[in-house]
This record gives sequence, structure tokens and C-alpha cells, in this order.
Amino acid sequence: MSEQTTSAVTESQARRPEVTTVGPPVPAEMENPVFVVENLDFYYGSHQALRGVNMKIGRNEITALIGPSGCGKTTFLRCLNRLNDLIAGTRVRGRIDFAGKPIYDPSLAAIELRRRIGMVFQKPNPFPKSIYDNIAIAPKVNGMKVNMDDLVEECLTRAALWDEVKGKLKASAFSLSGGQQQRLCIARAIAVKPEVILMDEPASALDPLATIRIEDLMSELKKDYTIVVVTHNMQQAARVSDRTAFFNVDDSQGVRTGVLVEMGTTHQIFTSPTDQRTDDYITGRFG
Amino acid sequence: MRTRRAVTDRLFWGFCFLAFALIAAPSVSMLISVAHQAAPAVGWSLFSQTTKGIGIQNAILGTLLLLLGVLIVAGTIGVAAGVYLAEFASGRSEKVLRFFSEVLAGMPSIVIGYIGYITLVVQFHWGYSLLAAVIALSVLVMPYIVKTTEVALRQVPSVLREGAAGLGMPRYSTLGRILVPTALPAITSGLIVALAISTGELAPLLFTAGFSDHNPRLQLFHQQVPYLTNVIFTDLALPGKRPHATSAAAALVSLVILIVLIVAGRIVAGRARRNTARMSL
Repeated sequence: MSEQTTSAVTESQARRPEVTTVGPPVPAEMENPVFVVENLDFYYGSHQALRGVNMKIGRNEITALIGPSGCGKTTFLRCLNRLNDLIAGTRVRGRIDFAGKPIYDPSLAAIELRRRIGMVFQKPNPFPKSIYDNIAIAPKVNGMKVNMDDLVEECLTRAALWDEVKGKLKASAFSLSGGQQQRLCIARAIAVKPEVILMDEPASALDPLATIRIEDLMSELKKDYTIVVVTHNMQQAARVSDRTAFFNVDDSQGVRTGVLVEMGTTHQIFTSPTDQRTDDYITGRFG
Repeated sequence: MRTRRAVTDRLFWGFCFLAFALIAAPSVSMLISVAHQAAPAVGWSLFSQTTKGIGIQNAILGTLLLLLGVLIVAGTIGVAAGVYLAEFASGRSEKVLRFFSEVLAGMPSIVIGYIGYITLVVQFHWGYSLLAAVIALSVLVMPYIVKTTEVALRQVPSVLREGAAGLGMPRYSTLGRILVPTALPAITSGLIVALAISTGELAPLLFTAGFSDHNPRLQLFHQQVPYLTNVIFTDLALPGKRPHATSAAAALVSLVILIVLIVAGRIVAGRARRNTARMSL
């Protein structure tokens, strides 16, 4: 009997993804958060997609948002740069502070905000232009006074793509492989010198090798940027993130709404979650 | 079993081929018969002389001038309205604009010509003129340009819009630097079809362009404009073999312009398809 219990526990432990984040572990308490989210509610028309989210996101950290489909993690991510503004009929309640200022303040231009908060999407979405122009277009439009050739090289180097494309910068971005396109999109995002990079399942459309390259890149980029990444892949969250936030679908009030169940250091979430739902999810009992 | 399938397959393809032949045969036979009837008139003099002599140089130049005018007027306004419908209009303004565009699309061309005559030619005292003719033709083809522009822009994957927004690009830059260039091949092929329609129109021009045996001049008002469909129409009504041949020759030249435009449109649209296929978004 007792033997069985022990083996069950070991089995449960074995199912937990191993946490291998590079660099020193982050402290449990955050000193200087980039984002402070308070009581965030989000609606698509009359449907509430998020309820009462409170969260802090640490500077130069990688924060992973995990949870089952439909739990609102992507919606939450897109609240952070007000990209949901593009969808008609959406509504936000509550407060998000970025660098100490409320981002949903009407006096703050969403365009200005999005320059400071870059975004990488689920599927690579390079513009139908040359590799060079993909990087150069936003800095040009934004009137950045820089040497464009240098900037393009710098961004492509940082995105670990330079060596592969330096001989064909004028070629169409679509001539690249999916993984290369996604790294191009990361290079494009850092070209406008943002402070934060939001990533919405950046590797979900890529093969395992390309995925590893993106993850390495994220670890590299966190020296200079704050990264928030949505992922379906718990191993990925455990591998790259410093903190993990677990979202879940809550239907206790009769409607299916996304809630933040708990957030902590990735180590804590994956080894000793405080909420049973988190434990069930990361050990693969549902989701 | 296999033979029955094979027979059904054959029958189906046979039917498809028949349908194709029913469409292709009239246009091929028309082309041949027009060419046949035009043969006596085709020669260097057809292009070197005006309708004062035995050529149609003035009508060819006039038609090309009208096409240029349509491209400028209908092209600018139509593309702008299409952009507005696809990107900016919402709610009421969208409904109103779409309604009028559809009404215009269904308007008989002769009514457009008549209204052009009453207002532009008579009321504005422009006389039969280049501008009146260009405006009448433009009104006729504009709904088509509006529609193709709107559809072309709506087909640009929304992830490109989001990608640009995510970089903090303002809406007008996104439109000008990403959306319109991406949609440009499709918009261009719409413009070309609009020009093809303009080439073959007579009704709106009868009321607005007038006609002249002299080559057209770049003068917007009080200067009548010769054009091909007029030659087709009037020379056919004249007695004698020569005018009939000239009429057919004008028709042949119109068809050649039409074919050139359609082929150009095909090439552009084909390029558009390749681009979007490669996008795989």
C-alpha cells in the first residue's frame, strides 16, 4: 500500500517539466516591475474573456503565460500593447501601468505605446518586402535618425539571422524558411528599440530545431529586454522563463471566463504550485 | 464499375468542353469576321490618315486619350473610395457609400451619358468636350474600381495589419507602405478591366464627346473628341463598301486594344496570385 503511494508521488514528480532557466534565479519579490496590472477585465462585446487579473511583470525577465486553450492568455498579452484596440467591440476595465503610467489613459497614444512594446506573432508575418525593408520600414516611418544599414545588421545579428541572410538582404522575406521568418520578425520588432517584447506562441508553427533557436534567442535578448511569452508548451515555459503565470478557464459564475490562477517564479510554479488546478495542468492531468 | 466511372468522367469533360466551345466560338468567329470585313481598309493609310481621309488615326488617338483621362479621374477617385470603404468607413457612412456605388454600378450607360449631357455639356457650358466625356466614362467604370480596390485590400492578411500596428506604425503609413503595395497587383488588374470597358463604350460618349475629323487636342472644354466606337457606329450607317470596311477596321482596332488590356490584366493578376500564394498567412 505504502509502496503504491510512493510510486504515485514519484510518477507525479516525473511528469513535471524540469526547470532549466539560464542565469541566476529571480527573487520571489519583484522590485521594479515594468507592468503592473490591477483588476483587469476584458470583454469581446458582451462576452467576458478575462476577469480580475492582477499581475506584475519584472524588468529584464522572461514571463511565461501558460494555460489551456481559451483561457485568455493571448487576449491578456494583447492588452499589454493595446493591440486589442484594433478589434471592434472590445472593452477593457481595470488598470495596466507600464513604466509607471496607465496605458489605457485616453491621453496616451496607442501608437507611441506600441513603439515601446514590440510584438512577435504566432505565425511568422513578415511584410511582403525584402529582408532589408522588413527591418527598415518601421524605423523609417517612425523617423529614427540612424544609419539604416548599421541598424539592419545589428538587428539581424541580435536575432541570430545575420550570417544566414547577409548575402541576400534584397531578397524577398518569403524566400526564408519559417524559422528564419520568425527570427526576422524578432529582428523587426527590436529595430524600433522597444523596452518590452511580447511573444504570442512564437515557436508553435516551427520545427523543434527552429524552436530551440528561438528559445536561445529569448534567453539572449532578456539581457536588454523584458519578454512576455505566451506558450502552449510547458517544457518551453520551464526551459526559458523566469516567472510563470498560469491562466485557466473559470465557469463557476456560469460563463466561461479566463482567470489568472497563480503566478510565481517558474521554479515555484513547476515544483510546488499552491493551487491544485496549476498542479493538475503542469502534470498533464488536463489541458 | 471502372468503365462506368470512366464513361461518367468522359461525359463530364465532354460537357465542360462543349460549354467552353459555346463561349469561345462566338468570340473567335466574331474576331475572324471583323478581321475579314476590315481587310480592305487595313493598310498604312488607316493609321496615317484621319477620318477626313480614309484612316482612323484621330479616333485611335481620341480613344487612347479618353482612356488616359479615365485612368486619371476614375482611377484616383475609385481607388480612394475603395480604400475608404475597406479601411476607414464604418456604420452609416459605409452603408451610404456602398449604396450609391451599387446604384451607380447598375445605372444604364445611356442614362449616364444623358445626365452628362444635361449637366456638363449644356448647364456647365462645357460643350462636347474631353472633360465631359472622361467624366461620363469615369462615372460608368468607377463602381468597378471601387469594388476591386476594396476587395483587394480586404484580402490583405490581417496579420500584416497587426504586425505593422505592433511596430507602432501609424495607420496611414501601414496603408501606404504595406497594405496598398500588397494589394497593388489586384488593384491594377481592376483598373485595366475598367479601361477595357471604357474602350468599348459608346452610349455615354454619344452625348458628351461629340466627334471630330481632326486629331484630338489636350483641351478640356469646347473641343470635340473623336473615338473608335463612334466610327464603328456611324460608318456602318453610311452607304458603300469603303465606310463599312472602315467601320470594321475601327472595331478590329478596338478589339486589339481590348485584347492587349486583358492580357496585361492577366499578367498582373497572375503575379498577384503568386505573391499571395507565397505569403501562406
